[in-house]
Amino acid sequence: MPQGDYIELHQKRHGRRMDFEERKRKKEARSVKKNSKDARKLLGAKGKRFAKKRYAEKAQMKKTLKMHDESTSRQKVDDDVEEGALPPYLLDRDQTQRAKVLSNTIKQKRKEKAGKWDVPLPKVRGVAEDEMFKVLRTGKRKTKQWKRMVTKATFVGPGFTRKPPKYERFIRPTGLRFTKAHVTHPELKCTFNLDIISVKKNPNGQMYTSLGVMTRGTIIEVNVSELGLVTPAGKVVWGKYAQVTNNPENDGCINAVLLV
Amino acid sequence: MVQYNFKKITVVPPGKDFIDIILSRTQRQTPTVVHKGYAINRIRQFYMRKVRYTQQNFYEKLSTIIDEFPRLDDIHPFYGDLLHVLYNKDHYKLALGQINTARNIVAKISKDYLRLLKYGDTLYRCKCLKVAALGRMCTVIKRISPSLAYLEQIRQHMARLPSIDPNTRTILICGYPNVGKSSFMNKVTRADVDVQPYAFTTKSLFVGHADYKYLRYQVIDTPGILDRPFEDRNIIEMCSITALAHLRAAVLFFLDISGSCGYTIAQQAALFHSIKSLFMNKPLVIVCNKTDLQPLDGLSEEDMKLVMEMKSEAMKTIPQGGDPSEEGVLLTMSALTDEGVMAVKNAACERLLEQRVEIKMKSKKINDCLNRFHVAMPKPRDNRERPTCIPEAVLEAQAVAAAKEKKKLERDLENENGGAGVYSVSLKKHYILANDEWKEDILPEILDGHNVADFLDPDILERCEELEREEGLRLEEAAAQDAFMIDGHDELTKEQREILGQIRKKKAMLIQEHRMKKRTAESRPIVPRKFDKDRKFTTKRMGRQLSSMGVDPSAAVSRVRSQSRGRKRERSLSRAEGDDMEIDGQHSNKKLRTRSRSKSRPIEEVAPGEGFKDSAQKKKAIKKSRDSVKNRNKEARRGEADRVIPTLKPKHLFSGKRGNGKTSRR
Repeated sequence: MPQGDYIELHQKRHGRRMDFEERKRKKEARSVKKNSKDARKLLGAKGKRFAKKRYAEKAQMKKTLKMHDESTSRQKVDDDVEEGALPPYLLDRDQTQRAKVLSNTIKQKRKEKAGKWDVPLPKVRGVAEDEMFKVLRTGKRKTKQWKRMVTKATFVGPGFTRKPPKYERFIRPTGLRFTKAHVTHPELKCTFNLDIISVKKNPNGQMYTSLGVMTRGTIIEVNVSELGLVTPAGKVVWGKYAQVTNNPENDGCINAVLLV
Repeated sequence: MVQYNFKKITVVPPGKDFIDIILSRTQRQTPTVVHKGYAINRIRQFYMRKVRYTQQNFYEKLSTIIDEFPRLDDIHPFYGDLLHVLYNKDHYKLALGQINTARNIVAKISKDYLRLLKYGDTLYRCKCLKVAALGRMCTVIKRISPSLAYLEQIRQHMARLPSIDPNTRTILICGYPNVGKSSFMNKVTRADVDVQPYAFTTKSLFVGHADYKYLRYQVIDTPGILDRPFEDRNIIEMCSITALAHLRAAVLFFLDISGSCGYTIAQQAALFHSIKSLFMNKPLVIVCNKTDLQPLDGLSEEDMKLVMEMKSEAMKTIPQGGDPSEEGVLLTMSALTDEGVMAVKNAACERLLEQRVEIKMKSKKINDCLNRFHVAMPKPRDNRERPTCIPEAVLEAQAVAAAKEKKKLERDLENENGGAGVYSVSLKKHYILANDEWKEDILPEILDGHNVADFLDPDILERCEELEREEGLRLEEAAAQDAFMIDGHDELTKEQREILGQIRKKKAMLIQEHRMKKRTAESRPIVPRKFDKDRKFTTKRMGRQLSSMGVDPSAAVSRVRSQSRGRKRERSLSRAEGDDMEIDGQHSNKKLRTRSRSKSRPIEEVAPGEGFKDSAQKKKAIKKSRDSVKNRNKEARRGEADRVIPTLKPKHLFSGKRGNGKTSRR
């Protein structure tokens, strides 16, 4: 026992008070009442925190109880349908096999040409122009209104040089420029912070694509060289597409899902 | 001088509480109300403030943790090593490093989001950004919560470390387990260390304090050390090794010569030789303990040889310059019988003190102090005797004082005449009487049925004389005054009479002036009925008041009555009788038609002056001024002559923000 542990020392020398055990037991027994009183009385942020904690505890308790029940009771198991299982009416059909296996890249190219993508977010809310742009008034008397400022997150390539400000129609503020995205690999269930290479397509229009605006549902190209993906031919893949899944201007970051 | 107080480190809250503390603080200390309709700038400011405030709080809290935990490289090597032994330096540094990184990350997050908030164009967007910012900060903290928990544990442990000052006079007790180190400690200090008959009772360093030569010594009890390679030693042993290695102290190596600790002398000697290097440059004392079981002389020859070997080693620790006496190197004691305990302590303290003084003498700084010290020891010049010189007068005075007889006190008398209880004090002997013989006479209390005291008046004769003298004086005075009165009347000369005339004139003037003032006073408010709602000013009331003051009110009442207007008929009758009350010298005028008209007054002389051309102008001015206040006075309104307390702090000058206008007046 170190020198500073005076409480323990005292207990060792003189023992605890006579009713220690009883008091402890009573206090413990009473703690339920105290908790319920707190649940009724607490207000504001404290009450919120308390409720959340209590809810978590209760949910946990229910789960454990259920787990214990499961070990004793039996229940019916319905087996999952396997991936790629055929319905009975198709069982007698012959499976046609493509003679030549198309490489992944060719598939991708075809899809690209068709402009159709099987993407995680197939539909997005349209963004109106006045939401996308803010009108800037210019001129000595501030009467001219041809200038626009993009109010969403944008990607601006590293080699970009501004036009002379006087003639610049669209301004992409530096504060809203992003160069990195958090990309989730759906199969690996991992998220990586990857560099953005370009904006492939903005669902709201070609103009936004060319401006590099990133809204929800935008397809971006990210640098996946870190992931070490390899093509069937054995080359290292470095650019891959991903779809933005959040509203970057509201969250302050870009979350995306890799398209594989 | 660095004080090593680890008790003052503030509590490190666990990760979850940390977040709660900061977030609730933000909620409490920043504004909470914002509306969509506010100017966008205001909304942005509102949310930016929240983000910035949260970041500042995180920064402050994390900074206090980083600052308050000691940096192992900066503190005394003893503490550095001790903390390393107890908590593992790498782990400790890693934890603090993580805190530091978290602090930087939080700062960066806040910077990023503040920048984004500047572009927020709606309340919703600003709010989203704020939520994201706070959430990310909290995530960072959540990730370092294991480090926080670790630091909190360390903090609690550090607070309980004994407060050892590494630079002061220290005595270190070391040796095998169970050789009686703690028993000695308990004898010498008040540390109250636990003593048990098994090995490793003491598991950490203990500190106590002892006095020697009015100086305080810090005594450190260490856990026992086993003789084994350095790498195999456990944490408990490492504590003592750390203390031995880093503290410049007198070392007491305890030796159990009876062997009741479970280790032979040979084993103990082996330990001594293996840790010999730690004793370098330290005064070392070998203490043979438990002599009550086994005296030193009774040892076998081999053991004795081992002990002597150790002694010769210990002798090497005495510096070359020091005296090579053998005492204070090998000592025997018994903690059980208290034999030699003090000798051991004194020897250790003495040798430590010697060594410290020597080191100080060798240091460079000593020259700065030494040249200021000088103890003068003058040598006798010749053989002449030089006694102290006492002046003649003083000697004489002393002799006189000695020769003077003491006044005989009542106390001395008492002692002479049989002491207290026997001797009774004579209260009469200091009486002051005309004749000394009367002193002892007895005065009767009652004589011829009268109380003597009633008739006693010692100075009646003197008083009588005094009275007669006074009477004579008064008579003389009266006679002198009579004489003056008789012939004083004619003695007024012409000049004096003139002066008297002037005085009288002046008096008359004064009276006139006073009257004029009084008359002016008549224009005092006569309160009209409409302002006398409570009916205070009634004749009845006046009569009552006057009679209560003891004045006959009838005259006053009748006068007032006559002034108030009655019915016309009656008045004409009463008027005919003549109203004597109003007669006022020659000005009384029977022609007065009504009481509605005020009495005429004489046209007075008004001395011109005060900026007026002549008396007529002045009169006009006086009249005008009177007229102007008449109505006001009648209605008992406030006038300019009334006492006024101006508003000391006019509200309009002391409240409100500065808007348009000047600094002095808004």
